[in-house]
Amino acid sequence: MIWTSIILCGIITFLIRFIPLSGVVSAEPSPFIKNSFKYIPMAVLTPIIVNDLSIIQNNSFFLIDNYKLYAGVIAIIVAVISKNILATITLGMGTFLIMSNFINI
Amino acid sequence: MTKWKFFKQGVLEELPLQVGVFPFGVIYGIMAIESGLTPLQAFLMSSIIFGGASQIVFLQLFSSASSIGTIVASIGAVNSRHFLYSASMIEFLGNLSLKWRIILGYLLTDEAYAVSIRKFMNEPPNRFLHFHLLGTGITLFLSWQISTLTGVLLGGGLPQFLNLQFIIPLTFIAIIIPMVKSFSTLLVVLGSGISALIFKNLQMDFWIILSACVGIMLGIVTSKFDIKS
Repeated sequence: MIWTSIILCGIITFLIRFIPLSGVVSAEPSPFIKNSFKYIPMAVLTPIIVNDLSIIQNNSFFLIDNYKLYAGVIAIIVAVISKNILATITLGMGTFLIMSNFINI
Repeated sequence: MTKWKFFKQGVLEELPLQVGVFPFGVIYGIMAIESGLTPLQAFLMSSIIFGGASQIVFLQLFSSASSIGTIVASIGAVNSRHFLYSASMIEFLGNLSLKWRIILGYLLTDEAYAVSIRKFMNEPPNRFLHFHLLGTGITLFLSWQISTLTGVLLGGGLPQFLNLQFIIPLTFIAIIIPMVKSFSTLLVVLGSGISALIFKNLQMDFWIILSACVGIMLGIVTSKFDIKS
């Protein structure tokens, strides 16, 4: 199952990068397609973030004691200010570790 | 310029970007082991898929027991921007042999594209220009493999209390926020995020893809309100 998934993802990734170069499809996508494509990565990654911040647990909202949510908000602020991947990860992770290991709300 | 000079220039221009790429590769390697992949699976994924964000998406979906269909569709969606990169390269690479186009298509990642397209657009036509992309692509490939291996070797030895799984959403936050540059992109993020809360709460299958569709549609509809730069 894992190998099948990895190989299928490898094939789809390669095809996405190769098909326009292969000349099989029209070289220049329409402005509508170009416009739509730019939204796809953020539209797919945002739901994954929302899920990983554990805002929903057991079919109800989990906000007050949710250290992941607080750390996520800090990471968003750092990302807005710094636009730096390492700073965002470090400060977000640092917030989460401090809250989850040293604070008892 | 000769083949070698183009290649060397590609390598040298790509090297500074590895300051950001290398730690990301190490994080991926650590996360892959933490997510339950074997060292061989974790390492080979970096050459089979060869895409930073998409490999992390794979880990997240794999560890949450998603179906193969969801994993493949999500990876395809995350990497869809490469279709546009490739389309914009046809002008410079379209006359190459099939073998070259296969190799360069495989190496066409964000960081290699960003450096080489600038070179292609500013350089007079030259039949060896593609060696620049070969240089940027191979540099990134080697850096990604070495950093992944470093992370894989570190992975098993880190204590549980570190909760390293949480690096995944933080990485995505770091990737997405710089993309939010307009009214429509902000609505895409808000729309797909709120939809995810609703669809996940309703325990709907394919909630990631459905939420993404809502976000994309919001972006398309509201893009006309963006201020043109």
